[in-house]
Amino acid sequence: MSAASVSLAGIVKRHGAVTALDGIDLDVAPGEFFSLLGPSGSGKTTTLRILAGLEQADAGTVRMNGKDITSLEPGARDVAMVFQSYALYPHMTVRENIAFPLRMVGVSNEEITHSVQEAAARVRIEHLLERKPGQLSGGQQQRCALARAIVRKPALFLLDEPLSNLDAKLRVETRVELKRLQRALNVTAVYVTHDQEEALSLSDRLAVFMDGRVVQVGTPEEVFSRPATVEVAGFLGNPPMNLLPARLEDGRATVEGSLISLPSLSGLGRREVTLGIRPSAVRIAAQGLPATVTMCEALGEDFFVDLIVGECLVRAKLRGEERPAERSRVRIELEPRALHVFDRETGLRL
Amino acid sequence: MRRAVLLVVSVAMLVVWVFPVLWGLVTSVKTERDVLAYPPTIVFEPTAVNYHDVFFGGASIVPNLVSSLVVSGLTTALTMLFAIPAAYALARLDLPFRRATGFWVLATQMLPPVGLVIPYFLLLRRAGWTDTYQGLVLVYLTFALPFAIWLLVSYFEEIPREMEEAALLDRAGRLRALWYVILPQAKGGIAVTLIFVFLNSWNEFLFAVVLGGNTVRTVTVAMFNFISLEQTQWGRLAAAAMVGMAPVIVLGLIAQKHIVKGLTLGAVKGGGRR
Repeated sequence: MSAASVSLAGIVKRHGAVTALDGIDLDVAPGEFFSLLGPSGSGKTTTLRILAGLEQADAGTVRMNGKDITSLEPGARDVAMVFQSYALYPHMTVRENIAFPLRMVGVSNEEITHSVQEAAARVRIEHLLERKPGQLSGGQQQRCALARAIVRKPALFLLDEPLSNLDAKLRVETRVELKRLQRALNVTAVYVTHDQEEALSLSDRLAVFMDGRVVQVGTPEEVFSRPATVEVAGFLGNPPMNLLPARLEDGRATVEGSLISLPSLSGLGRREVTLGIRPSAVRIAAQGLPATVTMCEALGEDFFVDLIVGECLVRAKLRGEERPAERSRVRIELEPRALHVFDRETGLRL
Repeated sequence: MRRAVLLVVSVAMLVVWVFPVLWGLVTSVKTERDVLAYPPTIVFEPTAVNYHDVFFGGASIVPNLVSSLVVSGLTTALTMLFAIPAAYALARLDLPFRRATGFWVLATQMLPPVGLVIPYFLLLRRAGWTDTYQGLVLVYLTFALPFAIWLLVSYFEEIPREMEEAALLDRAGRLRALWYVILPQAKGGIAVTLIFVFLNSWNEFLFAVVLGGNTVRTVTVAMFNFISLEQTQWGRLAAAAMVGMAPVIVLGLIAQKHIVKGLTLGAVKGGGRR
């Protein structure tokens, strides 16, 4: 099994009058675990299906190891896919399901038996081989789908929200296992998810999709700590970043009628911006922006505080400090080094 | 209370349905004299003479059973051969006018058969195919195919698209995806369709009597021959009816489970084709 490099260039896909993908460019390195992250309807699944050959792009090229595979049939691409619904063949046993991709290319029976056993062992379902998919639990079905995908040792592994049908606990366990499996097999994986926690924890790199475009590509750290646009900033993080309209002037920002001094931003001159700040970088302080506490939500060690600043809602994640009373008036401080500044008009990071 | 009502209604319906069959069964084991006795005899000595006549007598219906089997078997086989790929295509492929095609396939069923008998007769005569198996089978196909396609489409549409997408990625190709993945899952629907098509052609009378002539006499036509101007041979007619019904009942019993599902599915999905 050799990991493949994949690249998409200028992929456009239209469904009637709707443009589902508007010029997607992506490069995935061999052996990389690459996620396509975005809200539903952002085009990530369509991108995956174009990679698989299940849909044809209206424009652009798909390359695998440098070779143009844009118009190649799905079966000719050396890719395996795990579907969100798993798409197990209900009339076949687990063994027959896993054996199916090998049977289709005329592998000898002996070899099939061996490979099926090996793939099943990798995902620990050896004991379920004689069952039908309907007799398996959700987690077991998911493993069966994984085994069917890995049994043929594909060069590229496509996963379409494979964990979304599992319960929360199993999802986290399977996540770890998925990553280990990908590493052990040394296969390139493209993973579609709308769950940022999954994308951030699994990926070597990820692409953030918004409205049929890729708005940012980078490592999870990069994307999380330096969102390229205000949309990405508003999408990532749980809860996501607070976004406050502000006017920047000579190193000072006017936020909801209050002035805060931000000398580090004096180079940006005079302009309308959106300030982004993660809830964890908001503090209650003696000085700063006046705010009203609307709600306090305890979460074990931490607690979230909803504050109204002018007309904006600001969420703060506080730890260990004294819990402010609801409806009390406080002042908040935004940690200057944790501030993200986006152009108001273009939404781009400054 | 509800159970009681349900029971009464069920029994009433059963009586209505079963009565003619039972009457036929009783008649088939009566002598001609007992059949015509008035008031009808309840107690009589059963006889197998009608069955003996029907099988071995001068008016044996065995050749007619063979004819029926050939016509129905050929019709069913050909229908399935064409209907499965057609229905699959209608259910799955992004063809232009797909929806319109689906509708017009069904619309052909709206023509009253009796209005078609004469045109078909003229067409077959010109082709020299009156009184032939191929002629009758061809005509049956024109009814069976649209019906089978329409029924099968709803079954194919029930199967998630991801099934064949997975099969395509597993390097099966379209045809093998159909054969290994889709058809086994549509087995129930195919069984229902097959049985309906077979039964429809087995029970068909009008076209058989007009187009089959003297060479191709199906069992329904043969039964008709027990009714003549001078006399109706009730005993033999009933015996022939019982024999002709046997395959229908056997098939019905085998497919009972599928048929109930098939009828309701057709009912729900028929109008709602995407």
